[in-house]
Amino acid sequence: MRVFNRLRGVVIVTVALALSGWAAPGGAASGVIKIGVPVPLSGNNASAGEDLVNGAKLAAADINRKGGVNGMKIEIVPADDACDAQTAAQAADKLMAQGVVAVAGGYCSGAALPELTAFHRQGIPYVLDASTNPQLTELGYKEAFRVIGRDDQQAPFAANFIATSLRAKTAAVLNDNTTYGKGLADSLVTALGTRGVKVVFNDSITPGQSDYTATLTKIRGAQPDVFYYAGYYAEFSLLVKEAKQLELKARLIGSDANQSPVLIKTAGSAAEGTIVTTAPLPQFISGAQGFVKAYEKAYGKSAGPYSAYEYDAVSTVAQAIKAARSTDPKRITAALASLKSFKGITGDIAFTPKGDRTGINYISVIVRNGQFAPYKKLDKAGRWVDGR
Amino acid sequence: MSAFLQYVVSGLTIGSFLSLVALGYTMVYGIIRLINFAHGDLFMVGAFLGWAILVPVLAANVPVALAVLTALVLSMLLTGGLGIAIQAVAYKPLLRAPRLSILISAVGVSLALENGVLLAFGAGYDTYPQILSFAGVSLAGVRVSYAQLGMIALSVALMAGLYLFVHRTAVGTAMRALALDQEAARLMGINVDRIILLTFFIGSLLAAAAGVMEGLYYTQINFFMGFLIGLQAFTAAVLGGIGNIPGAMVAGFLIGFLEAFSAGYISSRWTDVFVFAVLILVLVVKPTGIFGERVVERM
Repeated sequence: MRVFNRLRGVVIVTVALALSGWAAPGGAASGVIKIGVPVPLSGNNASAGEDLVNGAKLAAADINRKGGVNGMKIEIVPADDACDAQTAAQAADKLMAQGVVAVAGGYCSGAALPELTAFHRQGIPYVLDASTNPQLTELGYKEAFRVIGRDDQQAPFAANFIATSLRAKTAAVLNDNTTYGKGLADSLVTALGTRGVKVVFNDSITPGQSDYTATLTKIRGAQPDVFYYAGYYAEFSLLVKEAKQLELKARLIGSDANQSPVLIKTAGSAAEGTIVTTAPLPQFISGAQGFVKAYEKAYGKSAGPYSAYEYDAVSTVAQAIKAARSTDPKRITAALASLKSFKGITGDIAFTPKGDRTGINYISVIVRNGQFAPYKKLDKAGRWVDGR
Repeated sequence: MSAFLQYVVSGLTIGSFLSLVALGYTMVYGIIRLINFAHGDLFMVGAFLGWAILVPVLAANVPVALAVLTALVLSMLLTGGLGIAIQAVAYKPLLRAPRLSILISAVGVSLALENGVLLAFGAGYDTYPQILSFAGVSLAGVRVSYAQLGMIALSVALMAGLYLFVHRTAVGTAMRALALDQEAARLMGINVDRIILLTFFIGSLLAAAAGVMEGLYYTQINFFMGFLIGLQAFTAAVLGGIGNIPGAMVAGFLIGFLEAFSAGYISSRWTDVFVFAVLILVLVVKPTGIFGERVVERM
């Protein structure tokens, strides 16, 4: 299936490339600064990709309204990587052919990796907004930056949450066999071990199917206290529903990619009480309230979980271009590396020597009354209590 | 034991969708020897049409059961009509051309349908309203929801109806005659073109039924949803002996069991491997499928 899929993808992208080839590489010369945004715009994760492009466009509009950068306007150039490694490599080539001087985007880590390699070869900086696999900043490419946390930061947080807040003794861990899901699940199993939580089930599923009841039956047999899924929302939505139907007793927890309105829409009432470990969402960040409102006004729906991070990724690139007083990718890279505490809407942004964001934190949210709400909240006495 | 029976329930549920889709492959192949690669996408179009009808009908305060029935029947008829149109436009002019031309035309139709729905409804997920409840019965640790029973029953009823139609009516007899020998059927005064169109109509109609059922049961629909189930159903059709209607029905459930048991006893990440290994194995070892040879009459 994958082979067919890829083959067709190649054909489509080749045709698209041939058609878009007419657009001559322009870039900075024309008074426009092009920032590439490679995200999935087709396939299972397309709606997440749309949320990101929207965030990027909002950032560009805000910057341009204030006169642009160094007298030039920012232009967002989206490219569809379909969450697929091969398509991603072509998306990167396409963006470079269109003359982007920097890149701010990425969703699936499996697609972001080949993109990063392609941009690295040309010395173009890539600020990742949502791709959390540790490897991205461990390759030693100086062009790699990210404004989001890493899975090996999320895993200890999730393990601590499972052991301390949920007081669970046993856990089932399932992943979707993607770079993101598998990497996070592996980190989590290790972290759970150090917290004394017994992992009674650890396996992968094939994404893209509709019926996972057989796998859930197996998990039900292992009788875990919690069931953690590391993967994307399309499958988790079905898992949540089917778990309810099978009367699985375990507490359901999803990784950060599952903080999606699709989860609540698809799983409906079954989603109630489901927990997601995630980077702080825009609606829970005080600095992002203006963004949340502007986004709703512009697009008629609420911002996706990473829209604000993409907004910051674009703003950070713009800031670096301003600091470098140049649109030369190599100078932008240097300016990003020496960025000192840029005020983004998701907090202060600066990078470690590897390109990871400093001072990142995670939270848990729970679905209550058809909405994501913070799991922990301050009670009247000022103590953190379970938000149930 | 309870796990085993639970896998059987999963397999029956998956199989009830696969069998309905597999029938379309097998019927079309039986009549014009075409593997209709656009068939999985008719399943997807059926799901989208059902959704596009169901949502406004429900919003107009029509009773739920009536709304579901309306969406199901209308989607089946419209998708059946689409099947006829596809046959007339994309396949009929190529019936006498080399076999490869019509196959390529089928892939083209598949891409056109997927991208058409992509343009019309967007790339993200659309969601059927959650109509079916999670309620069900638990027997000895085996959990079966009423919705599951309903899906399996509806699928079996549609298949029984098809079987009776093909074997007990004059039109059905004409269909079987066509599958046996098209020229002889023509000489006997059978309107070959009309029977071919009818075959496409019925195959597409069953795919649409499966699509609406999938939407109602799993609630999540997407323009790409027909691709995987199309290939799996094609595997079922080959396993059952392509062209053989009862074979496709049984093999659909067999593939469903294979998926459920491989996910249950080995791992879900291997299910596609097993399903497509079966396809290769059947093609290499017994290309006529498990029921192909015993039944001389193809349909």
